[in-house]
Amino acid sequence: MKKVKTQSSRRLSRKWHRVLGMAAALPLLLLSISGLLLNHADSLGLHERVVSFRWVVHCYGQMPVGEPIMVEVGERKIVEWDRRIFMDTQELALSGRLVGAVGFKDQLAIALEEVIGIYDGHDELVLTLDELSLPKVPITGIDVVDQRLLVQSGSTWYLLSEDFFSAQETNQRDQAQQPKKLSQKALKELEDGIVQGFSIPLSRLIVDVHSGRLFGWPGWVITDLAALSLILLIILGLRLLPNRRS
Amino acid sequence: MALDIVSKYRSGLIAVFLIVFQSGAWGLPQVYQKPSDFLRSSFGEIPPTRGISLTQSQQSRVRSILGKNYHQKVIRYWASNERCAFILEAVGKTELITTGYVIDQGKIESVKVLVYRESHGSEVARSFFTHQFRGRSLGSDNRLDQQPRNIAGATLSVRALTKMARLALYLETLR
Repeated sequence: MKKVKTQSSRRLSRKWHRVLGMAAALPLLLLSISGLLLNHADSLGLHERVVSFRWVVHCYGQMPVGEPIMVEVGERKIVEWDRRIFMDTQELALSGRLVGAVGFKDQLAIALEEVIGIYDGHDELVLTLDELSLPKVPITGIDVVDQRLLVQSGSTWYLLSEDFFSAQETNQRDQAQQPKKLSQKALKELEDGIVQGFSIPLSRLIVDVHSGRLFGWPGWVITDLAALSLILLIILGLRLLPNRRS
Repeated sequence: MALDIVSKYRSGLIAVFLIVFQSGAWGLPQVYQKPSDFLRSSFGEIPPTRGISLTQSQQSRVRSILGKNYHQKVIRYWASNERCAFILEAVGKTELITTGYVIDQGKIESVKVLVYRESHGSEVARSFFTHQFRGRSLGSDNRLDQQPRNIAGATLSVRALTKMARLALYLETLR
């Protein structure tokens, strides 16, 4: 009776060992190879090598989603895509919904709903104006008159002082310029710019593959399951270790 | 059988679920106080905005404090009588930390972390750390007269707050 029970247990262990082994083979292979590479990251120069691929940008969630909109100021394109702001293809340190942009005195003012960024002729940020310095937010329009900034909030227009820190109400103006859709060609250029602007060391990419984080929560769940499978495989393997008695 | 296991370990599974999904919030910015509320609590009401437009020599001094240029050429401040407040931003490890400094006659009166965006090191926002800046002033070598204690695991954030404190004290001399 005991012999039959032992045989049955061995059969079950063997079956599970086989199933688990097949299921966990690919993730364990990935873990092993990435682990080996990380162990020799210095000698392989993985910290110095950088990668910049479109799929990497997507995996790290760095490609915006939704439909981009833009305003043109002279030859410059100011684009908002998923609340991220780009000047041509260069991402700016501003975030929010694009309202408009105007050029004045060799400067560029980019208005978002909650903040205005003033850039100089070298595309360097001079100043940001937010609720602490603006007459009212959200901003609904921006314009220039006599080289001074006009800001609209609701239906009211405000004329900003030379230093931008004070404002006075001014007469009603026409509807401010509205952002428009980005052409397919410009969108492609912007996507290429985002890919070129995003690069990470190869070692960091391999670390994230190794931990499964690169593929979001499914990635680390699979990695955890693969690790658990390995533990179970060891236990089941140990159970199968004693020689079969005839 | 699977259902039995789930019902038996239900509370444990819920705990694991909460831990896992809470971890997703680690990357979100932590807003401790809105900048407008910081100014109101410091002055009673928000004083008019003023700005310091940095000259080349001043930029050079700022560079010696921060190790690089400040990311804006004009730095805003708010003042009432002898007291003034700066809301400054500096990168900890990869993200900006927004911090408010109130300076009174060359000495730091209060420091408040307003927005913390890093995933680690938010201990710098605690009062046990920020209180160390009270009464500190700027020495001749652009350093604080007494350095704050480091926090293990938050070294870069500590450095960022210390640099911003030095910058605020220097800017106060320019207004």
